Amino acid sequence: MDAAAQIFAGGLFQGSLYAVMAVGLALIWTTIGVFNFAHGVLMMLGAYVAWQLTEFGLPFFAVLPLSVLLMAGFGWALQATVVRPLIGRPNIVLVVVITTLAAASLVENGALQIWGPRSKQLPALGDGNTMIFGVGISLHQLTIILITPFVLLGLWLFLHKTRLGLALRAVAQNEDASLLVGLNVRALYGLAFAISAGLAALAGIFLGGYRFMSPVMGADPLLKALIVVVFGGLSSITGPIFAAYLIGFFEAICSYYFGLYWTPALLFAVLIVTLMIRPQGMFSSKTRGLA
Amino acid sequence: MFNRENTASPGRVRWQDEAALMLLGFAVLVVLPFVVSDSYSRHILIMAFIYAIVASNWDLSLGYGGVFNFGHLALFGIGVYAYGLLTKFLELDPWLALAASGVVSTLAAILVTLPILRLKGIYIILVTFGFAQLVMQLVLSQSDITGGTQGMVRIESLYIPGHNLIRDQKFGYFYIALGILALSTIFLRVLVRSKIGASIIALRDNEEYAVSRGISLARQRVITLAASAFFTGVAGAFYAAYQRNASVDVFGMSLSTIILSMVLLGGTSTIYGAIVASFVLTIFSESMADFGAWRPIITAVLIIAVMLVYPSGLSGAAQTIFRSLGRLRANETDNRPDATEPRTSR
Amino acid sequence: MTQLLEIRDLTCGYGRIDVLHNISLAIGAHGNVGLFGPNGHGKTTLLRAVSGLIRPRSGSISFNGTDLTALSPKAIVELGVIHVSQGNRLFPDLTIGECLSLGAYTKAARQREAASREEVLSIFPKLKERWAQKVRTLSGGERQMVSIATALMSCPKMLILDEPTLGLSPKVKEELCAAVIRISGHGVPIICVEQDVEFLLELSQHLYLLNHGEVGAEIKPGQTMDHSEIMSLYFGK
Repeated sequence: MDAAAQIFAGGLFQGSLYAVMAVGLALIWTTIGVFNFAHGVLMMLGAYVAWQLTEFGLPFFAVLPLSVLLMAGFGWALQATVVRPLIGRPNIVLVVVITTLAAASLVENGALQIWGPRSKQLPALGDGNTMIFGVGISLHQLTIILITPFVLLGLWLFLHKTRLGLALRAVAQNEDASLLVGLNVRALYGLAFAISAGLAALAGIFLGGYRFMSPVMGADPLLKALIVVVFGGLSSITGPIFAAYLIGFFEAICSYYFGLYWTPALLFAVLIVTLMIRPQGMFSSKTRGLA
Repeated sequence: MFNRENTASPGRVRWQDEAALMLLGFAVLVVLPFVVSDSYSRHILIMAFIYAIVASNWDLSLGYGGVFNFGHLALFGIGVYAYGLLTKFLELDPWLALAASGVVSTLAAILVTLPILRLKGIYIILVTFGFAQLVMQLVLSQSDITGGTQGMVRIESLYIPGHNLIRDQKFGYFYIALGILALSTIFLRVLVRSKIGASIIALRDNEEYAVSRGISLARQRVITLAASAFFTGVAGAFYAAYQRNASVDVFGMSLSTIILSMVLLGGTSTIYGAIVASFVLTIFSESMADFGAWRPIITAVLIIAVMLVYPSGLSGAAQTIFRSLGRLRANETDNRPDATEPRTSR
Repeated sequence: MTQLLEIRDLTCGYGRIDVLHNISLAIGAHGNVGLFGPNGHGKTTLLRAVSGLIRPRSGSISFNGTDLTALSPKAIVELGVIHVSQGNRLFPDLTIGECLSLGAYTKAARQREAASREEVLSIFPKLKERWAQKVRTLSGGERQMVSIATALMSCPKMLILDEPTLGLSPKVKEELCAAVIRISGHGVPIICVEQDVEFLLELSQHLYLLNHGEVGAEIKPGQTMDHSEIMSLYFGK
C-alpha cells in the first residue's frame, strides 16, 4: 500500500510538471503549426530570471508572477525574430526547428556567460515536508500538484471564455478564414508564444525549486515535453494534458520497478509505439495537417 | 519538376565533367600540406574534413531523401564510441575498428529507420530527436565501459607501418582524413546519380506518384538512412582515433546545430555545398577562437541570419549565377527561334 | 463617379506562375456582379487578391477609392470588404454561436453585434436550432449558411461569395440562393463566383466570364443573352 501511495504521489507530481511543460509547446503547435525547440531553454531562463529577481531582494510571491510576465515578453520577442519572418515559407516547420535550435544554443550560452556554470537553486514554493495518506511529500511538490490544475483551468477559461482566446482557437483551426474575419493573425502568433513562454517559465520555476539549476537544465524537460505532446496528440491542448499525467504515472511506476536508468529508454519505446499505432496521438481525433 | 532548384537530377552535368572537377578539387587539397606546414592549421583542415563528411552525409538523408534525421550526429557519436570500445575491449586492429564502426553506425541507422518507416514530417524529427537523446543516455548510463560523463581516454590511434603518425605535424592524419572524405564523396555522388538516387529524389518530390510507379517507400528510406550512416560512423571513428579521446559532447545539441548549419549554408541536396560550407564555417569558427564563449553565440546568430535571409544557402546562390550565365551562353548559340521550352527559371 | 470596386490591369499568381494577366473589372455601377468561367482560370485568385490574401504583382484594386493592394487582410475587412471563401471548412471545432461571435470581431462590427445577430437569424433561422453545435457536425448546406452568416456579422459594405452553392443538393441550393437574394435585398452589394449561371442571372445583371486569367466576356445589363450563347462562351467554340 505504501508503495502504491508513493507511486501515486510521485506520478501526480511528475504529471503536473509535465502538464505545465507540455501545454505551452502544444499551444504553439496547434496555433502556429511549428515546433519550438527553444522551449526547454525558456524553462531554464524562467528559472534564472526568477533566481536573479530573488537575488535583487524581491519577495518570492512577487518574483513568480513577474518572472512569468517577463518571460512572456521574451517569448513574444523570440517569435518576432525567429518565427514570424518565416511565415509563408513552404518548409517553415523545418526552418523553425533550426532557428529555434540556434536560438536555444544562443540563450543557453548566454545564460552560461551571464550566470556562470555553477548550480543554483530557487527557493521552494513551500518549505519542509508533510505526510498525506501515509506518504511523505515535500510542501514544494504538494504546492505544485495543487496549483497546476488551477493554471490549466485558467488557460482553458482563457481559451474558451474570452474573445482573445476564441481568436486564438480560430487561428489554430483555420488561418485563412481567420484572416478573412479580420483577425490580426501575426499578433495572435505573438500572443501564443508569449503564453507558451510564460508557462515554460512557470515550469522552470517549479523545477528550480527542487532541483539544481544549470544552463543546460532545459534539455531533458524539452525531451519529456516532446514525448508528452506526441503521445497526447498534436491536434489539441487537452490531449497533452491527459498524456502528461499518464506519462507521469508511467514514469513513477517505471522508476520504482526498473530504476532511473531504464526509464528514458522505456519512455522512448512508448513514443515509438504510439507513433506506430496511432500517429496522431492517443487522445486526438484527427491530424492537424502535419505531413 | 526537372528544373526545380537544388535538384541534381542525374545527367544534369555530365559525370565525366563532374569527375574532372572533383579530381581538380582534391588535387588542390592534396598539395595543401606542402603549403600549410604548421600543425595547428593542418588540424583545422582535418576538423574541416571530418565535419565535411558528416555534413555531406546528412545532406543525403535530409536534402535528397527529404527525411530530417535529427539523430544524424548520434550516428557520428556511435562511430566514436564504437571505435573506442572495439579497440579498447576487443583489442581490434584500429583500421578494422574504423571500418567496423561504420558498420555499427549503419546498423544503428537501420534500427532507427524501422519506427519511422512510414511517418511524415514533424514525427520523423521528433522520433529521431528522441533517438539521439536515448543514445546519449545509454552511453552515459553504461559508464563502466564508456566512462560516462568523463568519457574515454587514451584511445588507440591509427597506424601507418614505418611512419610515425604522432610526430609528423599531422601530415599523415591529414591524408587519412582527406582519403576518407574522398571515398565518402565519391560514394555519395555515385549513389545520388544512380537509379537508387533518382528514386530517393522521386520519393521526396512526389511520394504518391513514386509509390504508384513501384518505388518502395520503406525500402528506399532504409537505404537512404543506412547509406548516410556508414561514412558518418567512419568519420566518428577517425575522430576518436585522431583526438584519442571520446566524450558525450558529440551527442550534444551544439554540435548538431553547427553541422546542420553547414548543410543548410551549403544548400541542401548538392553534397558539394555541404563540403564547401564545412570548410568555410570551420575556418571561420577557428578565426573566432579568441572570442571564447562568444563563439557559439555568434554561430547561432549567423545560422538564424542565414535561415532568415538566404534559405537556399550558398549553392542556391551559385546555381542562380550559373543559370543566368547558362542562359547568356544559350542565347548566343540558340538557333532554334521557335523553341517552346517553358521558362520556369527567372 | 467612383465605382464600388475597381480592378485595373491586375497581374497576380502564385510563386512564379501568374494566374491573372492584366485583368480589369469595374463593379458597382450595375448592382451585383457575377463571375463565372472554367475552373482553375483565376476566379478564386481574383477574389483572394481583393481580400488581401495574395499580393498582386502589378495593377491596382480600389474599393470606394481606397487602394487595397497595400493593405493587410485585417484592414480590408475593416473597410467592409468581406470574402466568404470557397469550400466550407470554416472553424471545425467552434460552435455556430462562436463563429458568429468571431465574425463580429472588428470594433465596428462588435458594436452592432446584437443587431447583426438578429438579422442573420432572420435570414437563416435554421442556425438557431443548432446554436451550440460544432461546425464539423453540421451538414454541407448548414456549414455554408454559417460561412455566410459569419460574413454578415462583419457588417459588410461589399460581400464576396466564392461558389456558395458548390456541392449542395438542389433543395439546399434553392434555400441558399433565396437567402443570398434576400441579403442582396438588404442593400449589400454582392460579387458572386458561381458555376450555376442561372443563379448568377437571378442575382445580378452584370456578369463577367473569366477565361485563362483574363476577362473573356462581359455581359452588361440590358444585354440579353441567350442561355445557349452563354454556354458557348463558357465552353468556347
